[in-house]
Amino acid sequence: MVTFAKRYEDPPEVWGVGRIVVDGEVTPWPVAQRDVEDEAESLAPRLAALGLEPGGLVLVVAMLSQAVHAVPLEQAAGRIGALYSSADATPFDAFRVAVLTRQLVPHVVIGITGGVLDGLGEAGQDPADVLGSVPAVVTADDDAHTRLRAAGLAPRHWVKLGPTSAIEDVAGEGPVYDVSRWRVEEDGGELVISNVVPRLTEARALRTGVRGRVVEEGRVSVSGSA
Amino acid sequence: MSGRERRYFSPEIETMPRDEIERIREERLLGDLLPWAYQRSALIREAWDAAGVTPDDVQSMDQFQERVPFIDKDAIRAFRDRHRDPYGGMLCLDPKLTEVFSAIFSTSGTTGDPTPAPYAGRGPSMLVREFWELGCRPGDFFTYCLFTFRGPGIHDTIRGIGATPLFVDHQPADVPQLIRFSRELRPTAWYNLSGPLVLAIEQYAAASGTDLADAFASYRGVTLAGEPIGPRTRRRVEDGWGLELFVHTGVGDVGAATECREHDGCHFWEDTCYLESLDPDGVEPVGDGERGELVSTTLLDKIAPLVRYRSDDLVRITHEWCACGRTHGRVWPLGRKGDEVVVEGRSVLPGDLWAAIEAVPETGAGLFQVIRARREVDRLRLRVGYANDGGRGSADLRTRVTESVHAAVGIEPDVELVANEELLRQGPPHKIPRVAKQ
Repeated sequence: MVTFAKRYEDPPEVWGVGRIVVDGEVTPWPVAQRDVEDEAESLAPRLAALGLEPGGLVLVVAMLSQAVHAVPLEQAAGRIGALYSSADATPFDAFRVAVLTRQLVPHVVIGITGGVLDGLGEAGQDPADVLGSVPAVVTADDDAHTRLRAAGLAPRHWVKLGPTSAIEDVAGEGPVYDVSRWRVEEDGGELVISNVVPRLTEARALRTGVRGRVVEEGRVSVSGSA
Repeated sequence: MSGRERRYFSPEIETMPRDEIERIREERLLGDLLPWAYQRSALIREAWDAAGVTPDDVQSMDQFQERVPFIDKDAIRAFRDRHRDPYGGMLCLDPKLTEVFSAIFSTSGTTGDPTPAPYAGRGPSMLVREFWELGCRPGDFFTYCLFTFRGPGIHDTIRGIGATPLFVDHQPADVPQLIRFSRELRPTAWYNLSGPLVLAIEQYAAASGTDLADAFASYRGVTLAGEPIGPRTRRRVEDGWGLELFVHTGVGDVGAATECREHDGCHFWEDTCYLESLDPDGVEPVGDGERGELVSTTLLDKIAPLVRYRSDDLVRITHEWCACGRTHGRVWPLGRKGDEVVVEGRSVLPGDLWAAIEAVPETGAGLFQVIRARREVDRLRLRVGYANDGGRGSADLRTRVTESVHAAVGIEPDVELVANEELLRQGPPHKIPRVAKQ
């Protein structure tokens, strides 16, 4: 029998139960501590490719339900000696994005959605004023990407491919995923993903809900949701 | 006794004799925290220098109460603006020390710009004691329903108790998943529920025909924080949904306090903070259990230590032992000093109005604001949210709300009715500003 003290020192294998959302359908997705750490290791080069350096700061804009994607990004910052801060990806919390961007001067803001831009607008803030001085702004949906481009910014894409993330670098040539850990294929115009290293919850040709194609190994182009 | 049956998570601390609590407090505060804060926090040093006090002048708790100057949110904001320091002069360490800090989080920002807070925490927080009291045990699932901006402390605490978090957004849009996860994984504890989320769950259940008592049957305890709920709403949640609610409140930005199963005040942990209850308009302590302003001092926070922080929170505090056996003090949150309005010489807090407003069916969500340009006013003005499905005319509704409030506080209010959604948009989603200037 595992004693109470032992359990306290040695928490359960399942780090948490997150979720994957495809076409509005939610699949609970348990992940292990080792999955989160490995994903953080994998994403650190993506943040570095956006210009995040030791001593810098990334503002991660996401929801708690997206912890499987957001927490590895946050931990990736630590792996390159940078800090992170957080705000919710909602109209309510858009004011926090504006305040933290002003106060903390992040090098990267990742996860901007159309809802966040709506919130800035309702607060009378011009997204170009709020985000224009940030070296790398990364959007989490097509709506935000289109609107920020129209505002004269050069946003990059953050795409959730099943349980992992593909993130576009400053060159802007399409989101990059980690081929040493994930295999991405096309199926009827939709990207599907499989893990090639062990994960607590296995992904086998898992639908991502992302329309796009693999332009080269480790890089996709996306054209929207499936 | 097995781990599942034991009452306390840390019995040696939670039931510590009073004299031991006081010894630890003096050791941590006088011997460690005060010299550290004075030497490193620009705001603390500025305030102490202005008062002509140094740590050498504070060798006892009596001297602490007599000599140590207060700080408050206005002082922090003024320092921030004067020095262009987003941390308001509170920081004792350089936030760019990535070997110390991993992140910078922020306060909720309900009453102004959120204040950034560098995070050096790793591992479970003191909340393990509360989560244990909720009934969570190793191997259980735990519903973690919050925001991102609070950082990983809650997650680490859930895992520290040996449980597994289920991530749920504290948002109306995520109520279907909250209910689904509750049914499928049968979690035993839930952090956090708030007034606006109660409203969203009720609306979803009514529209979908969900049996909430069945969906939530596995919970042994749920914290209620952020926005309070009135007594009628609480009865609906406890009797209708079958949830045991544990009021959870911040204590002067130095910690948290949570009800135990006796539900007779919220325990705060005196090995982590020192709380005083003072005359809201003065500096003298009020008696045990009397209404006062919460003044907080951390015993542990070496990053941005608050020392004699006038929180603006009106509370009652007692150091009487609780029937649960814990020896630490208890606090009852009453409202914010800044939310008080004085009408015809009579003090009114939002909490005084709650039951009267939620007693009217269409305004049963208890969403309302006191409109006041200044503390003392001639008329009590209220903006009250209503559900637009009551089927009765708004003129009649205004009359009924007016009469209900008049009967409760003896003052006839001027009532402006707005849709609930209009007030909820003034979030953050777990609470709305209870006082507005216009």
